[in-house]
Amino acid sequence: MSLPASPMLSAQLPPTDVAGPANAPAAGATLKPAFALSETTDAFHVEVALPGVNKDGLEVLAKDGQVRITGRRAWRQPADWISLHRETSDDGYELVLTHDRHVDTGRVTAELRDGVLRLALPKAEDLKPRKILIN
Amino acid sequence: MRLVHCSYPVAYRGFAPLAARFNRSPWSGLETEIDRLFTAAQGEAGGGAPSGRFPVDVYEDKANTYVRADLPGVDRKAINVEVVEGTLTLSAERKMPAAEGRAETSISFRRSLQLGEKVQADRITAAYENGVLTVTLPKPEEVQPKKITVTVS
Repeated sequence: MSLPASPMLSAQLPPTDVAGPANAPAAGATLKPAFALSETTDAFHVEVALPGVNKDGLEVLAKDGQVRITGRRAWRQPADWISLHRETSDDGYELVLTHDRHVDTGRVTAELRDGVLRLALPKAEDLKPRKILIN
Repeated sequence: MRLVHCSYPVAYRGFAPLAARFNRSPWSGLETEIDRLFTAAQGEAGGGAPSGRFPVDVYEDKANTYVRADLPGVDRKAINVEVVEGTLTLSAERKMPAAEGRAETSISFRRSLQLGEKVQADRITAAYENGVLTVTLPKPEEVQPKKITVTVS
Protein backbone atom coordinates (compact mmCIF):
# COMPACT_ATOMS: atom_id res chain seq x y z
CA MET A 1 0.00 0.00 0.00
CA SER A 2 1.50 3.33 -0.94
CA LEU A 3 0.44 6.69 0.38
CA PRO A 4 1.34 10.08 -0.98
CA ALA A 5 4.10 11.74 0.99
CA SER A 6 2.74 14.75 2.82
CA PRO A 7 4.96 17.19 4.62
CA MET A 8 3.28 17.01 8.00
CA LEU A 9 4.69 19.33 10.55
CA SER A 10 3.37 18.40 13.90
CA ALA A 11 4.83 19.00 17.26
CA GLN A 12 5.41 15.31 17.94
CA LEU A 13 6.90 12.37 16.11
CA PRO A 14 4.19 9.81 15.28
CA PRO A 15 4.20 6.81 17.62
CA THR A 16 5.22 3.34 16.42
CA ASP A 17 2.53 0.75 15.94
CA VAL A 18 2.84 -0.71 19.39
CA ALA A 19 -0.28 0.44 21.18
CA GLY A 20 0.52 2.66 24.14
CA PRO A 21 -0.63 1.84 27.65
CA ALA A 22 -4.36 2.13 28.04
CA ASN A 23 -5.62 5.26 29.79
CA ALA A 24 -2.24 6.95 29.73
CA PRO A 25 -2.48 10.06 31.91
CA ALA A 26 -2.74 13.44 30.26
CA ALA A 27 0.51 14.52 31.88
CA GLY A 28 3.57 14.19 29.71
CA ALA A 29 3.86 15.32 26.11
CA THR A 30 1.03 17.52 24.89
CA LEU A 31 0.39 19.23 21.60
CA LYS A 32 -0.64 22.81 21.19
CA PRO A 33 -3.82 22.69 19.14
CA ALA A 34 -4.60 25.00 16.25
CA PHE A 35 -6.85 27.82 17.34
CA ALA A 36 -8.24 31.13 16.16
CA LEU A 37 -9.05 34.23 18.17
CA SER A 38 -11.54 36.87 17.25
CA GLU A 39 -12.92 39.84 19.07
CA THR A 40 -16.23 41.65 19.21
CA THR A 41 -17.06 44.70 21.29
CA ASP A 42 -18.33 42.52 24.13
CA ALA A 43 -16.21 39.43 24.11
CA PHE A 44 -13.29 37.44 22.80
CA HIS A 45 -14.12 34.31 20.86
CA VAL A 46 -11.77 31.35 20.64
CA GLU A 47 -12.16 28.34 18.38
CA VAL A 48 -9.85 25.43 19.17
CA ALA A 49 -9.42 22.35 17.00
CA LEU A 50 -9.47 19.32 19.27
CA PRO A 51 -10.13 16.31 17.02
CA GLY A 52 -10.90 13.15 18.93
CA VAL A 53 -11.74 14.90 22.20
CA ASN A 54 -15.14 14.49 23.81
CA LYS A 55 -16.63 16.23 26.83
CA ASP A 56 -15.20 13.71 29.28
CA GLY A 57 -11.69 14.28 28.10
CA LEU A 58 -11.86 18.07 28.06
CA GLU A 59 -11.11 20.49 30.86
CA VAL A 60 -11.26 24.28 30.67
CA LEU A 61 -9.85 26.02 33.70
CA ALA A 62 -9.90 29.77 34.29
CA LYS A 63 -7.40 30.81 36.92
CA ASP A 64 -4.92 33.58 37.68
CA GLY A 65 -5.52 35.58 34.54
CA GLN A 66 -5.23 32.52 32.30
CA VAL A 67 -7.57 30.13 30.57
CA ARG A 68 -6.07 26.67 30.35
CA ILE A 69 -7.61 24.12 28.00
CA THR A 70 -6.54 20.48 28.26
CA GLY A 71 -7.98 17.72 26.14
CA ARG A 72 -7.44 14.01 25.78
CA ARG A 73 -8.42 11.85 22.84
CA ALA A 74 -11.24 9.46 23.66
CA TRP A 75 -10.35 6.73 21.19
CA ARG A 76 -7.87 3.97 21.90
CA GLN A 77 -6.46 1.77 19.19
CA PRO A 78 -7.94 -1.75 19.51
CA ALA A 79 -5.40 -4.42 20.33
CA ASP A 80 -5.75 -6.35 17.10
CA TRP A 81 -5.38 -3.33 14.83
CA ILE A 82 -1.99 -2.92 13.18
CA SER A 83 -1.09 0.64 12.29
CA LEU A 84 0.23 0.99 8.75
CA HIS A 85 0.59 4.75 8.58
CA ARG A 86 0.29 7.33 11.34
CA GLU A 87 0.12 11.06 10.95
CA THR A 88 -1.77 11.93 14.10
CA SER A 89 -0.43 11.69 17.59
CA ASP A 90 -1.98 10.03 20.62
CA ASP A 91 -0.78 12.85 22.85
CA GLY A 92 -3.28 15.14 24.49
CA TYR A 93 -3.75 18.82 23.78
CA GLU A 94 -2.93 21.78 25.96
CA LEU A 95 -3.51 25.44 25.30
CA VAL A 96 -2.97 28.35 27.64
CA LEU A 97 -4.38 31.76 26.86
CA THR A 98 -3.31 34.65 29.02
CA HIS A 99 -5.83 37.43 29.43
CA ASP A 100 -4.50 39.27 32.48
CA ARG A 101 -7.93 39.69 34.02
CA HIS A 102 -9.42 41.41 31.01
CA VAL A 103 -12.03 38.67 30.92
CA ASP A 104 -15.03 38.22 33.16
CA THR A 105 -14.32 34.58 34.01
CA GLY A 106 -17.68 34.14 35.70
CA ARG A 107 -19.53 34.44 32.40
CA VAL A 108 -17.39 32.32 30.09
CA THR A 109 -19.37 29.94 27.89
CA ALA A 110 -17.95 26.89 26.15
CA GLU A 111 -19.33 24.52 23.55
CA LEU A 112 -17.67 21.39 22.22
CA ARG A 113 -19.02 19.98 19.00
CA ASP A 114 -17.43 17.63 16.48
CA GLY A 115 -14.00 18.16 17.93
CA VAL A 116 -14.17 21.96 17.91
CA LEU A 117 -14.29 23.92 21.17
CA ARG A 118 -15.83 27.37 20.96
CA LEU A 119 -15.24 29.67 23.88
CA ALA A 120 -16.85 33.04 24.43
CA LEU A 121 -14.89 35.11 26.91
CA PRO A 122 -16.87 38.22 27.85
CA LYS A 123 -14.70 41.24 28.35
CA ALA A 124 -14.39 42.67 31.81
CA GLU A 125 -16.58 45.71 32.22
CA ASP A 126 -13.82 48.28 32.30
CA LEU A 127 -12.52 47.10 28.91
CA LYS A 128 -15.66 47.90 27.03
CA PRO A 129 -15.88 51.29 25.42
CA ARG A 130 -17.79 53.53 27.75
CA LYS A 131 -19.24 56.91 27.08
CA ILE A 132 -18.34 59.51 29.66
CA LEU A 133 -21.02 62.05 30.40
CA ILE A 134 -20.08 65.67 30.52
CA ASN A 135 -21.61 67.98 33.01
CA MET B 1 -11.30 28.42 11.41
CA ARG B 2 -8.30 27.20 9.54
CA LEU B 3 -6.46 24.09 10.62
CA VAL B 4 -2.86 25.05 10.27
CA HIS B 5 -0.40 22.43 11.41
CA CYS B 6 2.01 24.58 13.26
CA SER B 7 2.61 25.30 16.87
CA TYR B 8 2.93 29.04 16.51
CA PRO B 9 0.07 30.81 18.21
CA VAL B 10 -2.13 32.95 16.02
CA ALA B 11 -3.10 34.94 19.10
CA TYR B 12 -0.67 37.79 18.79
CA ARG B 13 -1.94 38.80 15.41
CA GLY B 14 -5.58 38.29 16.09
CA PHE B 15 -7.87 36.89 13.49
CA ALA B 16 -6.27 38.16 10.33
CA PRO B 17 -7.88 37.49 6.95
CA LEU B 18 -5.78 35.56 4.50
CA ALA B 19 -4.67 38.53 2.42
CA ALA B 20 -3.33 40.38 5.42
CA ARG B 21 -0.85 37.64 6.15
CA PHE B 22 1.26 38.69 3.22
CA ASN B 23 1.57 42.26 4.40
CA ARG B 24 4.94 43.11 5.82
CA SER B 25 4.80 44.74 9.19
CA PRO B 26 7.96 45.50 11.10
CA TRP B 27 7.03 43.43 14.11
CA SER B 28 5.86 40.28 12.32
CA GLY B 29 9.29 39.06 11.42
CA LEU B 30 9.75 35.33 11.65
CA GLU B 31 6.09 34.53 12.19
CA THR B 32 5.10 36.01 8.86
CA GLU B 33 7.79 34.07 7.03
CA ILE B 34 6.78 30.75 8.55
CA ASP B 35 3.14 31.44 7.90
CA ARG B 36 3.90 32.09 4.25
CA LEU B 37 5.65 28.75 4.04
CA PHE B 38 2.57 26.99 5.37
CA THR B 39 0.24 28.87 3.07
CA ALA B 40 2.40 28.05 0.06
CA ALA B 41 2.64 24.40 1.04
CA GLN B 42 -1.11 24.17 1.17
CA GLY B 43 -1.24 25.01 -2.51
CA GLU B 44 -3.55 27.99 -2.45
CA ALA B 45 -2.44 29.32 -5.81
CA GLY B 46 -5.09 30.85 -8.02
CA GLY B 47 -7.13 32.54 -5.32
CA GLY B 48 -9.74 29.80 -5.18
CA ALA B 49 -11.51 28.72 -2.02
CA PRO B 50 -8.98 28.08 0.75
CA SER B 51 -8.14 24.43 1.12
CA GLY B 52 -7.07 22.62 4.23
CA ARG B 53 -4.83 19.69 4.94
CA PHE B 54 -5.65 17.06 7.46
CA PRO B 55 -3.81 14.07 8.88
CA VAL B 56 -4.89 10.48 8.27
CA ASP B 57 -3.99 7.26 9.98
CA VAL B 58 -4.30 3.86 8.31
CA TYR B 59 -4.73 0.63 10.25
CA GLU B 60 -5.72 -2.91 9.39
CA ASP B 61 -6.85 -6.05 11.08
CA LYS B 62 -7.70 -9.42 9.59
CA ALA B 63 -11.04 -8.38 8.18
CA ASN B 64 -10.79 -4.68 7.35
CA THR B 65 -8.63 -1.75 6.50
CA TYR B 66 -9.39 1.38 8.53
CA VAL B 67 -8.70 4.98 7.63
CA ARG B 68 -9.11 7.64 10.33
CA ALA B 69 -8.96 11.32 9.45
CA ASP B 70 -8.85 14.32 11.78
CA LEU B 71 -11.56 16.60 10.45
CA PRO B 72 -12.91 18.67 13.33
CA GLY B 73 -15.88 20.94 12.78
CA VAL B 74 -16.92 19.88 9.29
CA ASP B 75 -20.44 19.55 8.02
CA ARG B 76 -21.61 15.96 8.35
CA LYS B 77 -23.65 16.34 5.18
CA ALA B 78 -20.66 17.62 3.27
CA ILE B 79 -18.42 14.65 4.09
CA ASN B 80 -17.81 12.55 1.01
CA VAL B 81 -16.16 9.13 0.92
CA GLU B 82 -15.50 7.65 -2.50
CA VAL B 83 -13.64 4.61 -3.73
CA VAL B 84 -12.84 4.52 -7.42
CA GLU B 85 -10.60 1.73 -8.72
CA GLY B 86 -8.69 1.23 -5.54
CA THR B 87 -8.31 4.91 -4.70
CA LEU B 88 -10.09 6.22 -1.64
CA THR B 89 -10.95 9.90 -1.72
CA LEU B 90 -12.09 11.78 1.37
CA SER B 91 -13.52 15.23 1.00
CA ALA B 92 -15.27 17.57 3.40
CA GLU B 93 -16.13 21.18 3.90
CA ARG B 94 -16.04 23.39 6.95
CA LYS B 95 -18.27 26.43 6.97
CA MET B 96 -17.37 29.43 9.06
CA PRO B 97 -20.43 31.55 9.75
CA ALA B 98 -20.42 35.24 9.04
CA ALA B 99 -19.07 37.35 11.86
CA GLU B 100 -18.33 41.02 12.35
CA GLY B 101 -16.57 42.30 9.28
CA ARG B 102 -16.43 38.92 7.56
CA ALA B 103 -18.81 37.16 5.22
CA GLU B 104 -19.43 33.46 5.50
CA THR B 105 -16.43 31.51 4.24
CA SER B 106 -15.75 27.85 3.79
CA ILE B 107 -12.67 25.68 3.61
CA SER B 108 -12.62 22.50 1.57
CA PHE B 109 -10.61 19.39 2.39
CA ARG B 110 -9.73 16.66 -0.04
CA ARG B 111 -7.29 13.79 0.11
CA SER B 112 -6.81 10.58 -1.85
CA LEU B 113 -5.14 7.38 -0.77
CA GLN B 114 -4.09 4.41 -2.87
CA LEU B 115 -5.50 1.22 -1.42
CA GLY B 116 -5.03 -1.24 -4.24
CA GLU B 117 -7.37 -4.18 -4.67
CA LYS B 118 -7.70 -5.08 -1.03
CA VAL B 119 -11.06 -3.36 -0.73
CA GLN B 120 -14.66 -4.48 -1.17
CA ALA B 121 -16.03 -1.19 -2.38
CA ASP B 122 -19.69 -1.96 -1.82
CA ARG B 123 -19.34 -2.73 1.87
CA ILE B 124 -17.57 0.40 3.02
CA THR B 125 -18.92 2.19 6.07
CA ALA B 126 -17.95 5.46 7.65
CA ALA B 127 -18.58 7.16 10.99
CA TYR B 128 -17.87 10.69 12.17
CA GLU B 129 -17.36 11.14 15.89
CA ASN B 130 -15.68 13.89 17.92
CA GLY B 131 -14.34 15.38 14.74
CA VAL B 132 -12.68 12.18 13.52
CA LEU B 133 -13.90 10.40 10.40
CA THR B 134 -13.37 6.63 10.49
CA VAL B 135 -13.79 4.71 7.25
CA THR B 136 -13.99 0.93 7.47
CA LEU B 137 -13.08 -0.89 4.25
CA PRO B 138 -13.68 -4.62 4.40
CA LYS B 139 -11.07 -6.74 2.70
CA PRO B 140 -12.23 -9.07 -0.05
CA GLU B 141 -12.97 -12.60 1.07
CA GLU B 142 -10.01 -14.11 -0.71
CA VAL B 143 -7.54 -11.87 1.04
CA GLN B 144 -8.69 -12.63 4.56
CA PRO B 145 -6.52 -15.30 6.16
CA LYS B 146 -8.44 -18.53 6.29
CA LYS B 147 -7.66 -21.60 8.21
CA ILE B 148 -7.47 -24.65 5.99
CA THR B 149 -7.92 -28.00 7.64
CA VAL B 150 -5.90 -30.75 6.09
CA THR B 151 -6.79 -34.34 6.64
CA VAL B 152 -3.88 -36.68 6.60
CA SER B 153 -4.88 -40.10 5.48
